[in-house]
Amino acid sequence: MADRPIKAWVMLFAGFVLMCVLLATGYTTPREYPKRKIVRFWHRWQGDWEKEVRSIVDEFNKSQTEYEVVPVSVPSGGADSKLILGVIGGDPPDLMSMFNGAVPNMAANGFLTDLETLMTPDEKVAFFQNSYPALRETGMYRGKCYGITIGADLMALYVNVKQLREAGLDPDRFPKTLEELEQWGLKLNQYDKRKNLTRLGFLLNDVQYLAKTFDGGFDVDPSGKMLLDTPNNLRALKAIVSYRKKIGFDNVLRFQAGLNDIEGAASWAFMHGDLSITYDGQWRVQEMSKFKPDMEYRVFPIPPPAVDGKPRGGVVGGNYMVVPISAKEKRGAWEFLKFWTGLDNPDRAAKFYNKGGWLPFSPAVAKSPTFQKWLKNNPQFQAFLDILASPNCKAPPPIANVQFLNDLIGRAENRAVSGDMTPEQALQDLAVKFNEEEAKRKELGYDE
Amino acid sequence: MALVLQNRGHNVCHPMSWLRSERARNNLIAYLFISPWLLGFFVFTLWPFLQSIYLSFTRYNIVSPAKWVGFANYKMLLTKDELFYKSALVTIKYACISVPCAIAIGVGLAMLLNANVKGIAVFRTIFYLPSIVPTVATSALFIWILNPNIGLVNRALMLAGVKGPAWLNTAPWAFYSFVFMSLWGVGGSMVIYLAGLKDIPLHLYEAATLDGASPFNKMRHVTLPMMTPVIFFNLIMGIIGAFQTFTEAFVMTPGGGPQDSTYFYSLYLYNRAWKYLDMGYASAMAWVLFLVIVVLTAIVFRSQKKWVHYGG
Repeated sequence: MADRPIKAWVMLFAGFVLMCVLLATGYTTPREYPKRKIVRFWHRWQGDWEKEVRSIVDEFNKSQTEYEVVPVSVPSGGADSKLILGVIGGDPPDLMSMFNGAVPNMAANGFLTDLETLMTPDEKVAFFQNSYPALRETGMYRGKCYGITIGADLMALYVNVKQLREAGLDPDRFPKTLEELEQWGLKLNQYDKRKNLTRLGFLLNDVQYLAKTFDGGFDVDPSGKMLLDTPNNLRALKAIVSYRKKIGFDNVLRFQAGLNDIEGAASWAFMHGDLSITYDGQWRVQEMSKFKPDMEYRVFPIPPPAVDGKPRGGVVGGNYMVVPISAKEKRGAWEFLKFWTGLDNPDRAAKFYNKGGWLPFSPAVAKSPTFQKWLKNNPQFQAFLDILASPNCKAPPPIANVQFLNDLIGRAENRAVSGDMTPEQALQDLAVKFNEEEAKRKELGYDE
Repeated sequence: MALVLQNRGHNVCHPMSWLRSERARNNLIAYLFISPWLLGFFVFTLWPFLQSIYLSFTRYNIVSPAKWVGFANYKMLLTKDELFYKSALVTIKYACISVPCAIAIGVGLAMLLNANVKGIAVFRTIFYLPSIVPTVATSALFIWILNPNIGLVNRALMLAGVKGPAWLNTAPWAFYSFVFMSLWGVGGSMVIYLAGLKDIPLHLYEAATLDGASPFNKMRHVTLPMMTPVIFFNLIMGIIGAFQTFTEAFVMTPGGGPQDSTYFYSLYLYNRAWKYLDMGYASAMAWVLFLVIVVLTAIVFRSQKKWVHYGG
C-alpha cells in the first residue's frame, strides 16, 4: 500500500531531474556544415563589426571542406574570465580574439598555445620575415608567439579641414612640432557664454603612447629593468598636464562626458564637428567612409616635441588571436588564422582588413593590389601605415603583469592631470608601486 | 533503525524497510525535492568556500597546481599593499554612509507609505520598482542621470542656478554618486519596514494616546522601538551588502574611478583574481573580507541587547 505513493514521488522526481538535464543539454550550436570539424571562435566584436567578422567566417567556411568556424560574440567585459573558465572546465573555444594586454599574463600562466607549434617551417619563416615587427612582438612572450593580430590598433590625429580653414589655419601646413599643435588646438577651442567648452580644438592625453614621441616609453631596457620614471616619460606627462591646465581640467571633463561617443557607430564626436583635431584609432577611417563620406578630413601622426622628439612614435594595442592550451581543434583554428591574416595569400586577406579598417599584419598585405586599391579611396589610412613602419612604433613591454602596469600608468596620468599629484610625484609613485609589486611577485615565487 | 519484518517464518531486514515509517518517507521526499539546491550548495558554495581557505595560502593561477606559500599572501596584503587599504577604506566609508542613510530613508518612506490614503498601493509599487531593476541596468541608467552636461541631476541643479559637478569623473563626487545610487534601491528594505509597521499592535498607540502622547512621541516611543527588530535585520543585511559592492563599480568606474575614490574592495579582489590571475592572493583578500563581515555582524548582534526590542 505504502509503496505506491513512494514510487509516484520517485517517478515525479526522476521526471523533474530528466527535464532539468534535457533543458541544460538540449542546446546545440547551429551548424551550416555539420559533417565538418567544428572550430569555435570567440571574439569581442559587436554591432557592425560583428557582421564583418561573420562575413569573413562565411568566406572561410565556403573555402573549406574540412572545418567549419562558428563565431560567438562574447561581451568584452567578461571575455577573459570566460576563457579562463573555459580552459579549466576543459571546454574552451578553439580560437579567441583577446585584448593584447592580457596575452603575456595568459601565456605566462600556461593558458595559451605557442602558435609556432602549429606553423610549418615555411609558415614560420614567412611569419617572422614578413610581419610588421611591432605587431609581431606584441603577441610574443619570452621569445614565443602566443598571439597573432588581425585587428591591431594605432593612434593618429584626425583633422577637420573645414574647421581649420575657418580658424585661419592651413591644413596643408600641419604643425611639425607638438608645441605648435598645442597652439592650434587652443585657437580651435570654442566656448559658450558661461565659458563652457562647446568645441574641443585638441587634447593631449595617453602618456603611454605619447611618451614614444618624447623618445621615452614604459619599456624594459636591455638589462631587464623597467623604464618608468625616466626623464623623457616625465616630459611627456608634464606636457599633458600643462596643456590640460590651459584648457581647464573640469572643463574638459564636462565636455568629454557630454559627448555621445560610441565606437563603431555613427556618433563619433569628430564626425559631428565637436572635435577639431582628435587623437584616435585607425578603424575610424573605415567608419568615416561609411557614415560621413563627404566630410573633408586628414590624418597625421602626432608631431614630436621641438626638442629631443621622435616622429611617428606609437605603441601597438588591439585584438590578438590566441589558441587556448586545451583547445580541441587547434589545426582548424590555425587554418582560419592563416586565412584571415593572409600569411598564405596576402591579397585575399587584404579585403578582410579593409572591412573593419584594421591594420594589415604584414607589408605584403599592405602592398597587395586589393589593399592598395582601398588605400587609394581612403588615403587617410596611409598615416597609420607610416607609423606602423616607423622604428619608433613599438610593442608594449612583454612582461607578465603588463595589465597591472597599464593600470598604474592610467592611474598616474589621472592623478597628475587632476592635480592630485605633480607629474614627478605621479611617476615616482608609479615606479615605487610597480617595483613593490615585482618584489611581491618574486617573493611568491613568480618567475617575473 | 530498520524495521525487522516477519517473512515466511524468518527474521528478514529489508533494505528499504525504514521507508515504511511515514515520517521517513516524508523526509525522503522533502530531501529529494531540495536535493538540486543541496547539491548546488555543496558543490558550488560550500566546497569552493572551503577550498578558498587552502588557496589563500598558495600561489594559484587556476591552470597550474596551487603552490603552498604559507602566510605570504596575508603578510603582503597587510604590510605591502597600499591598494588593499585604500579599497578597504573606500568600502568601509561607503558602508558607514550608505547603510544608515538607507535605513533612515527606508523607515521614513515606510512611514509615509503606511498612511491610509487613496492610491497608496500605486505609490508603494512606484517606490518598490527600482529595487527589482537589475544592478547593471541601474548602473547604465545612472551613468546617464549623472552625466555632467546632459544628465537629469545637473539639469535640475541648473534650474536652481547651481552648476552641478562632474559626478562620476571627479574624486569626491564619484564616491557620493554611488551612495546616492544605493538609495535608489531602498524600496526593497522599505517593504520589510512596512511589514514591520503593520505588525505593531494598535493597543500600544491607543495607550499612548490615552497618556496624551503627541504624534512625534508616538513615533519616538512606540513606532521606532517596535521597529528595531526589522531595523536590526536590515542593518545586518545592509552591512553585508555594502561590503560586497561590486557590480555598480565594475560597470560605472571599472578602473577604480578618479583617484581610486570608487575602487571598492570587491572590485580590487576581482581584478586580482581575473585580471592579474592571482587567485591565491584574491582568496586571501576574500577571507579578510569574510572575517571583517563576521566581526562586524557579531558586534551588531552583541549590541542588539541594548537597542532591539522584541516586544511585538
